Amino acid sequence: MQAEPIASKQKANNWLFWILPAVLFLVAALNLFLGSVRIPMGEIFKILFGQPGVKDSWVYIVLNYRLPKIITAGLAGAALSAAGLQMQTMFRNPLADPFILGINSGASLGVALAIMGVGMAGGLFIPSLTALGSFGLVVAASIGAAIVMGLILLVGRKVQKPTTLLILGLMFGHATGALVSLLISFSAPEKVKAYSMWSFGSFTSVTWTELSVMIPVVLFAIILLALMPKGLNALLLGEDYAKSMGLNIKQMRLMILISSSLLAGVVTAFCGPIGFIGVAVPHIARNMFKTANHKTLIPAVLLIGAIVAVTADMIAQMPGSQYILPINVVTSFFGAPFVLWVVLGKKGRSTFNV
Amino acid sequence: MKKTVLSIKSLEIGYLNGKPHRTIVADHLNLNLYEGQFICLVGPNGAGKSTLLRTLTGLQPALGGEICLNGKELQKYSGKELAYEVSVVLTSPIEVGAMTVNELVAMGRFPFTGMFDRMTEHDWQIVHESLSLVGMLGFEERMVHRLSDGERQKVMIARALAQEPRLLVLDEPTAYLDLPGRVSIMNLLHELATVHGRTVLTSTHDLDLAMRSADQFWLMASNGHILQAAPEDLVLSGDFQRVFERDRINFDVMNGHFSVSSNFAGQISLQGDGENRVWTERALERIGFQVFPSPTETELQLNILEKNGERSWELSDGLYTKTFRNLASLVEFLRAS
Repeated sequence: MQAEPIASKQKANNWLFWILPAVLFLVAALNLFLGSVRIPMGEIFKILFGQPGVKDSWVYIVLNYRLPKIITAGLAGAALSAAGLQMQTMFRNPLADPFILGINSGASLGVALAIMGVGMAGGLFIPSLTALGSFGLVVAASIGAAIVMGLILLVGRKVQKPTTLLILGLMFGHATGALVSLLISFSAPEKVKAYSMWSFGSFTSVTWTELSVMIPVVLFAIILLALMPKGLNALLLGEDYAKSMGLNIKQMRLMILISSSLLAGVVTAFCGPIGFIGVAVPHIARNMFKTANHKTLIPAVLLIGAIVAVTADMIAQMPGSQYILPINVVTSFFGAPFVLWVVLGKKGRSTFNV
Repeated sequence: MKKTVLSIKSLEIGYLNGKPHRTIVADHLNLNLYEGQFICLVGPNGAGKSTLLRTLTGLQPALGGEICLNGKELQKYSGKELAYEVSVVLTSPIEVGAMTVNELVAMGRFPFTGMFDRMTEHDWQIVHESLSLVGMLGFEERMVHRLSDGERQKVMIARALAQEPRLLVLDEPTAYLDLPGRVSIMNLLHELATVHGRTVLTSTHDLDLAMRSADQFWLMASNGHILQAAPEDLVLSGDFQRVFERDRINFDVMNGHFSVSSNFAGQISLQGDGENRVWTERALERIGFQVFPSPTETELQLNILEKNGERSWELSDGLYTKTFRNLASLVEFLRAS
């Protein structure tokens, strides 16, 4: 009988779980139709259903450019948001996310080492040409992400003020940035170029070969996350309470470390550093579903994150023009004011309150 | 024979700061706690009350000695096993938004629900009973961050009860509350122990309240020594007063509360009785007067008159007499002269 109120509340939110996939499908479809080359809608359907009689170049654009790009954007958005959600709960900090805490920078350093550092030693590593090459990139980025995250775990867990953690992340960002600069100044020009191409960040450079690495890694990390809602909920009360309820804190921390480093690492490896999605989407989800329960929040951030990233990609293409903006320009443009809103907002907003 | 819940032998508590270094907060602690007891851990700030409670609940390791919980050594419990035995309420208010009272109390079922946290009807039944025990039925769907501090603390106690612990440990649960909130939480804890047979250990600074409700005090001195006895025994032996000895703050053994001593202002004899006398005396002592029963040779005499429900105070110094309608004007006059 007491189960009813909760059940009815979840029912009230159920419609959102119908709406969100529909919206995701809609923005993905829209994204497929928009682009610098105008392709009629009917032709696109023909291409998708494998019917003959369409211009070869159009087939190529849709199947090998637009489709993987949309899938990449959706995966990246979901992955960054899922990483942000776990980190916000673990650090009990509304500003925690891979970008702000400098974990992206750790991933960047990993990539820089892979492209330029390993190059110095062997000169073999040309990124993203083969599945093996991209897998190496993912490993490098994830290890870089995990190292920075581990450091922040050591230092930042006791930090109470959200803004202090922000400064901590900034410093980690600077430190890794300095190391990358150091690498750049000692590397051959073509390797520096390969690195800087990568660091612009975009969803467009990801091919099917790379997706064949990205999809399973993201899936694995998300499955790991799907095992954690109970523990994450317990962490909402703080580590002492969680421990007193019998949660194995060390194991939980390790799982969060693995899941979020993989998510941040794989996205950074293929799409470059992308800011603000990870911090903003969990807040949007909490506001939308009016809950802190991770059983609801995890699917919610995955869907909303995908929608946000696919939409951001659409804006980045500036439909109707030949220009493409770096995706980071778009996410920062909308994300930076959002973070300011969280930091400067009332007490209610700077905690987990909505 | 009462069952022993906790038995502590020559326990050493404190902090490990790096392997060879450690800060010992207290040692040689020997304490017992029996089923159904309500024990208040009291002592001045910084004595180590929180450290002791954190050690007893497994949140930090003991530095030495032995803690036995239900006859088994505390270190031998796994985190989950311990969660079946002990639940806690901590000082600092939790900061969660977008969580209902029901959801929060349901978290107490954490050790019992499976990996995916599926609540059975039995689990909800216990959530319901816990809320009923703390008198918070009807708040199920309220958001936790919209509750008053007192209500939130009651919900936190309900969460701890939903864990069905053999021992409930609270670290200064009344610290952030206003006076009515304090009274109601201490009453609640008292009731949990005496009426519902729960075993409760709490630290508190509300000595008056604790003294009226606890079965026993664990009286912790600044040096970490702990005396375990009924509060009244501790007062009669003078230990209580010694532990809380501070400048200008006296424990009034006759009335059982702390009083602030003012500078001596004079002597006064007072005629009157009942509540009028008690509160007049308080007002006079507040401004530093020593009060004597009526026919005493003092410079000032005060007479409380009550006619038709109207009170007045008649002050005389042997030459003049002055009448006051309320204590405020009397106090003001005495202060000025």
